[in-house]
Amino acid sequence: MNPNHSTPTLIIHLNRTPDGVPHTYMLPSPSEAGIGANDWADVSVSGALQYLQRAVDPTLAFSLSCRRGLCNVCAMRIDGVVTTACTTPVHDGIVIEPARSKLLLRDTVIELSLVRHARIGASVPSATATED
Amino acid sequence: MNPWDVIVIGSGAAGLVAAWHARAAGADVLVVNKGLVGRSGATITSGGGISVSGRTAIELGFDANPDDTDEAFFADTIRSGSFLSDQRLVDAMVTGVGEELRRLMAGGAKITAHKHAPGHSSARGVRIPGPSMQRAVTTAALHAGAKFREDFQSTELLTRDGAVIGVAGLDRRTGEVEALYGRTVVIATGGATSNWSLRTAPEELSGDGHAMALAAGAELIEMEMLQFLPCCLVAPDMWRGLQFPWILGPQSGVRAWLLNRYGERFMARWDPERMELSTRDVVAAASAAEVIEGRGSPNGGVYLSWAHLPRDIVDNFPKWTRSFSADWRWEGFDMTPLVEHIRAGHAVEVAPAAHFSLGGIRVDADGFTGVPNLYACGEVTGGVHGGNRLSGNAGAQVLVQGKAAGRAAAARAQKETRAAAAHLADEAWRAVQARIQSPLHRKEGAVPGDVKRRLGQLVDNALGAIRNGVTLEKALSEIRTIARDDLAQLACRNREAAWNRDWSDALECLAAVPVIESALLSALARSSSIGAHQRQDARDAPTVREHGLISLKSGSATLTHRAQPVEFSILSPA
Repeated sequence: MNPNHSTPTLIIHLNRTPDGVPHTYMLPSPSEAGIGANDWADVSVSGALQYLQRAVDPTLAFSLSCRRGLCNVCAMRIDGVVTTACTTPVHDGIVIEPARSKLLLRDTVIELSLVRHARIGASVPSATATED
Repeated sequence: MNPWDVIVIGSGAAGLVAAWHARAAGADVLVVNKGLVGRSGATITSGGGISVSGRTAIELGFDANPDDTDEAFFADTIRSGSFLSDQRLVDAMVTGVGEELRRLMAGGAKITAHKHAPGHSSARGVRIPGPSMQRAVTTAALHAGAKFREDFQSTELLTRDGAVIGVAGLDRRTGEVEALYGRTVVIATGGATSNWSLRTAPEELSGDGHAMALAAGAELIEMEMLQFLPCCLVAPDMWRGLQFPWILGPQSGVRAWLLNRYGERFMARWDPERMELSTRDVVAAASAAEVIEGRGSPNGGVYLSWAHLPRDIVDNFPKWTRSFSADWRWEGFDMTPLVEHIRAGHAVEVAPAAHFSLGGIRVDADGFTGVPNLYACGEVTGGVHGGNRLSGNAGAQVLVQGKAAGRAAAARAQKETRAAAAHLADEAWRAVQARIQSPLHRKEGAVPGDVKRRLGQLVDNALGAIRNGVTLEKALSEIRTIARDDLAQLACRNREAAWNRDWSDALECLAAVPVIESALLSALARSSSIGAHQRQDARDAPTVREHGLISLKSGSATLTHRAQPVEFSILSPA
């Protein structure tokens, strides 16, 4: 369905700490990664993060629920633009960052609670996070 | 607040309606959710139909059919479910939905009249898009004073002398294992649909509520019954499970053709008259049968083709139906590449995707499970829809059951006097903690994500829209092997307790396995074809209507199945 793309392998730059250097991951072809696709262009950023956590770095945190751009829990900054990871295809050289470092909880997971003022026993956004 | 009067597990429409009513009845309410409230669960992804009879809709101020009675709505629901429904639950839904709709509208929810949905005998029901519905119930529960616990993965109910006294689980943010004590607990965790890898459902519906209820002594009913939506995309990976082709074809009344790999219109074997415009369950079963019998497409589906139609016919769709916008934005996606593909004459690979759990925890019309202090509501329960679900009936179900369970739990909590003493003994609590922490502390073993994927393949393979005894037997033996060998070996590769996805995956596997085994046992025991349960090796409909019930033998991990005749208390099959 994407005859013009060709992304057999993939390089991802993932900014996991607000002040740190982005981690760079080299991903094998989707079939080697156990994903039913011929090309990474057919896979969402969420799909790539799921693979990274499963096969490369078990410590990686990410959020995902509806997988179709409705719940917005997977919002992150992709190539500089805040959008939903589940509806954005990956591409070679993609840069993935948390949407707002002020709200950072872990990796790309930020505080998106809609009920935080009525929450009990809740942890607050990470004290280590610095300004935006 | 320790203990809470009412703890609600899950924050979709069912859970938050329960929370609102429990608060309105004066109870202290804690809503516990695995993810973020308002950003998880299936309510958001719902099309938003809510079934209500024409007469009731007119009372609410809608332009509707005055000849459509509650009795007609009831009869349509029972017939569509092949007379397997628990008729008391359906009666409560049909007669109770109007009042809840009135409350939602009074709270400011924007609800519109609905078009004629398939299966209903007349134009019936109203509509509020899933995200708006979720917003309405979230806001209402917040304003009513419910408290929340987010990113808390509930894993087991705490019991004392057979009665539920709270819930234990993992705070994913901190990595703490905690007990939350409540005089009553309402389970509203939704379906078990994310155990299928090809699904319309969100990520987190692993059947946690089913597993907790089962372990506490509740019964599960009709666990083999799973509603599939036909003609969902199987590829590309990013679009897997989207129902766009169905909407662009049969759902809109457009005769796109379903073809197998030999180019045959296989629907001729299943419904020669209606063909692709047949009901969803028949199209789903027919498509799955082609794949099982070796006539499928490369990615495990069949082909949906518009090539015999004028190429530019798709250009008219946004004018004909409100389902599409002219820029082909659909949910969060730009579907233009797929539409271009169709316009160029290509077929699209499609397959039935798991959509809705028809079976679940057995409850009465108050949402009571039979286990003291334990209630359930919404998709996690079974018995309302029988063998198939009419469009809009899930919306009616969550409202009516949410209200019933919330009120019943609050009333029960106010009578519960032992609450002050209702804590686990230290030793018992340490055992609970150790169980939950075991995957984190295990040095090496099975990777939780790998076990989860294996479960998905097993379920797709054995519990699809067509089943057969041999495959079910094989899957049952495999799930029992996983239960015996792999669950005890689940090991996190990440030692840090907070935000540990391996740990969450491991706990989801522990919940999913007994739920999957329940579905396999029920599917094997129902050796006939009825509703959503279609057996390739037993095509005939059953001669008697029976419920399939699963429970746990007390003090053991053995699941047992029993059949119970359906009571036709209101309407009998002709």
